[in-house]
Amino acid sequence: MSIKAALSKVQRIPEVQTHYNVFNYVNEMASSQLKSIEKRNASSKPLAYTVAAVKDNIVTKDMPSTCSSKILDGYMSPFDATVVSLLLEAGTVIAGKANMDEFGMGSAGIHSYFGPTFNPLFKPEDQIVTGGSSSGSAAAVAAGVVDFALGTDTGGSVRLPASYTSTFGFKPSYGRLSRHGVISYAQSLDTVGIFANDLATMNKVFSILDKYDEKDPTSLSEELRHNFRSLATKKKSLKIGIPEEFSQESVPAEFRATMTRIIKHLMNYGHEVYPVSIPSVKNALSIYYTLSPSEAVSNLSRYDGLRYGYRAESDIENGTLFTPTRSAFGPEVQNRIILGNYNLCSESFKNNYIKAQKLRVQLINDFDSAFRFPNVLSGNTVNKDGVDIMLSLTSTSFPGNYDEVVNKENDNPLNTYINDIFTMPMSLCGLPTMTVPAGNAFGIQAFSQHGNDYELLDACYEINALVNS
Amino acid sequence: MLMFRRNYAKRCNTSSKFKLLPEYKLKCGLEIHTQLKTENKLFSLSTNSPFSDVDKPNYHTSFFDVSLPGTQPILNPEAILFALRLSLALQCKINMNSHFDRKHYFYGDQPLGYQITQHYSPFSNTGKLRLFKDLDSIEEQTKDISVIQLQIEQDTGKSVYDSADSITKIDLNRSNVPLIEMVTGPDFTDLKQIRAFIKKYQNLVRHLRISTGDLETGAMRVDVNISINDYARVELKNLPNTSSIASAVKYEYSRQVNMIENGEGDKLRNAETRGWTGSETVKLRSKESIIDYRYMPDPELPNIVLTSDVVDGVKDMLPVLPDDTCMSLMQEPYRLSLKDAKILTINSNSRDELYTHDELRKYYLDTFEAYRSLCERHHQEFLRKLPANWIIHELLGNLNKMEITLYEICRSLSPEKFAELLLLISNKTLSNASGKLLLAHVLNSFKENSFAAGKPLNFLELIDEFELQAVADVESEGLELICERILAEVNNDKMINDIKSGKKKNSIKFLVGQAMRISQGRIEALEFETTFKKILKVSW
Repeated sequence: MSIKAALSKVQRIPEVQTHYNVFNYVNEMASSQLKSIEKRNASSKPLAYTVAAVKDNIVTKDMPSTCSSKILDGYMSPFDATVVSLLLEAGTVIAGKANMDEFGMGSAGIHSYFGPTFNPLFKPEDQIVTGGSSSGSAAAVAAGVVDFALGTDTGGSVRLPASYTSTFGFKPSYGRLSRHGVISYAQSLDTVGIFANDLATMNKVFSILDKYDEKDPTSLSEELRHNFRSLATKKKSLKIGIPEEFSQESVPAEFRATMTRIIKHLMNYGHEVYPVSIPSVKNALSIYYTLSPSEAVSNLSRYDGLRYGYRAESDIENGTLFTPTRSAFGPEVQNRIILGNYNLCSESFKNNYIKAQKLRVQLINDFDSAFRFPNVLSGNTVNKDGVDIMLSLTSTSFPGNYDEVVNKENDNPLNTYINDIFTMPMSLCGLPTMTVPAGNAFGIQAFSQHGNDYELLDACYEINALVNS
Repeated sequence: MLMFRRNYAKRCNTSSKFKLLPEYKLKCGLEIHTQLKTENKLFSLSTNSPFSDVDKPNYHTSFFDVSLPGTQPILNPEAILFALRLSLALQCKINMNSHFDRKHYFYGDQPLGYQITQHYSPFSNTGKLRLFKDLDSIEEQTKDISVIQLQIEQDTGKSVYDSADSITKIDLNRSNVPLIEMVTGPDFTDLKQIRAFIKKYQNLVRHLRISTGDLETGAMRVDVNISINDYARVELKNLPNTSSIASAVKYEYSRQVNMIENGEGDKLRNAETRGWTGSETVKLRSKESIIDYRYMPDPELPNIVLTSDVVDGVKDMLPVLPDDTCMSLMQEPYRLSLKDAKILTINSNSRDELYTHDELRKYYLDTFEAYRSLCERHHQEFLRKLPANWIIHELLGNLNKMEITLYEICRSLSPEKFAELLLLISNKTLSNASGKLLLAHVLNSFKENSFAAGKPLNFLELIDEFELQAVADVESEGLELICERILAEVNNDKMINDIKSGKKKNSIKFLVGQAMRISQGRIEALEFETTFKKILKVSW
């Protein structure tokens, strides 16, 4: 990490920004902040001379935090998110706030008040999407203007854009990284994730952010973290599961071929590969689209314009409070507010929300019986013959052109919801999951039991080496 | 329409003549919100001080209280402890694994757009509070009011309409203050029970030191559910004090009875919510305009998981409950009257400026013991009523008059010292009247010397100094002389004759009073009374 390399990254931002619309806000001070790092302090700062992008739903004191929504246009947070403070302490300079789908709702990076982000793997005029919702974070890393980026992953929002941009995208176990300062979309699923171009950077950033935070009620306690450490072991030979439910005939032939090649390599290197079955995965999409909009509609209730953010001329319309202000939400957010309200209304709550919660527990149980690392939170009995990690594709297709994606979505909104089909099950169970680039604009994801992040990271080195061999 | 209204006014405003009619059975239940006086708010570290800073709106607020994006609730364990104390005191079944839910509705003083409450799995349930005829002034010997459930929840902020600027101003000092909502069964059948319950519940939360329990400040808010016979229930809101609760119930009862009698009972088939304006109840919401709160389990707050150790520990540390204390004071060895026992047990207000009932009771009990052992040591007759009479009537009266606190008094006039004073009275070294003078003097000089610890109190020296010793062995001639002088001065034959004939026995007290004045209270009143009777040859 040299100052020269860092400065050259920052200097390329304006050009990349013009072509790909990566940032909602660019930190004009980044260069001077890099230059002001004192040499003698640099050695004690593990991330000195690194540059990072931070998704615009993670609050920062010195830059606006908008969630790419008109409703938070220009909002300045009086405090930094815990993950941001940790990065700043470690010496990182934040290059800017990355574009995203409004409030994290979307999987293409096209639902932003500030316009879509385009994929830097392609020519700007091709207007290929980056995937979302952490679109700008993925694009910034892929364009090489930052060393790493923070995103958030609720149902695949780190992994899908990482796959589309051929970057590493890591969604750690739920509760590992603090959510304090992360603007909630659906907080039983929201997880801070990391984008990087290499595993060494990924590892370093993760170890800095992997801390208990008393300000986050869902942060994993020191005691649990200790448990995880004592349960993890260094394994020479891995037991790898390939879940049947994740193989789809409809995926591009190149995806399947790559997957097969990697499995073969793994076996050649002495790892054991097994087919596994997680039957409840078939419910994941329904569970996800019942729970996440319900939590979202609740979390978005605070945006009434009275205390911060955008406020319309009038606070009332047809006797309903705050309707004029809340009309500032974009169409996709409005869709999910309607869906969430439907799920929560007293007539359907028992049939939808409660049922979804039960099915979520069932899904966790299914995964628990397939892994050999115990699930400390559920306390389910451990399958001693279970696998260490599982592998699957990250995305169902290559990223498309902006107009195509918009048209497809307009035909049927479910088309975009289906993009998350490979990523959602892990979100629902809080499993640590990493997508590793496997070709141009696609990746494969490796995941393990909740809390088993470090064994997973080790395995990813192995997998990455095989992909490139 | 006009007639209709006048008809109402006639029936409803005659509250002094209010009577429940046997053919229209009143059935009420209460929902009481009580603010907990924890140090901090329910889900943040802001100071919990909803009232003390009226001139500083939005002062006691943290990032969470104003719902800034990216903030999370962190549960204050003190609120759980307080809820546990109240639940146990109400004999509730404790839910060992309860959780929080979100209740959604938009309002300017509701910064999150939802209230965090406990809907699906409340903190505790199925308890009761027993009312007694004597203690609580109800008609029945005893009456059990069932407690359906207790839940912990957040208070909202406050909206204040500023008519000068014609805008609504919002103050979030109260936002996120912890509340307990307690719901009773529909067990009340008359107003006395309602009054008694509110008073008793108020005293209980003060006694447990979990709330100020004040209705005036809104620290305690009461909603009443009322129904007549089998008609639908009406919820009455905006009841700021006990008298408005009573008036609203009376008004609503009469209104409904009137409707039924006028053949309009059908209009009472649907539940509705009504507010109290101070003179009448008005419709706020009915079935058609009901809000769907879209309750949802809070996705980030952990469940409140209790272990039996914790519950038992809190149970062991509960103070003796006011009813039990009160009853024990009415039994041996104290045998206090109900009125005196209540003064030592029940908090009439939360301000406690001069003394709390707990301090007072301790002072009484300590004095009682000290006096009893002094009597034994000096082989004096132990006068059981003396401590209560002198503490509740004399000492308290002086404290109130001079505005001094019991705490300060204790530093110089400890229960042991007070017992010495009582001994001097019971062995007749001091007459009652001189005792009162001496006590007032002692208290006054404490106050003047700012309660500085001077030399220890020595009653005998003071008695000498002020020549207060009772004149025990007054020669009978001396007494007769005084009495005859008074009779001459009074010079009222009619009164004298009425005393002699026994027609107006009490007039003799007037004569005794005159004699006491002349002797400056140093001679016992009884001595004078006997002498007067002797002179006047009274035979009764």
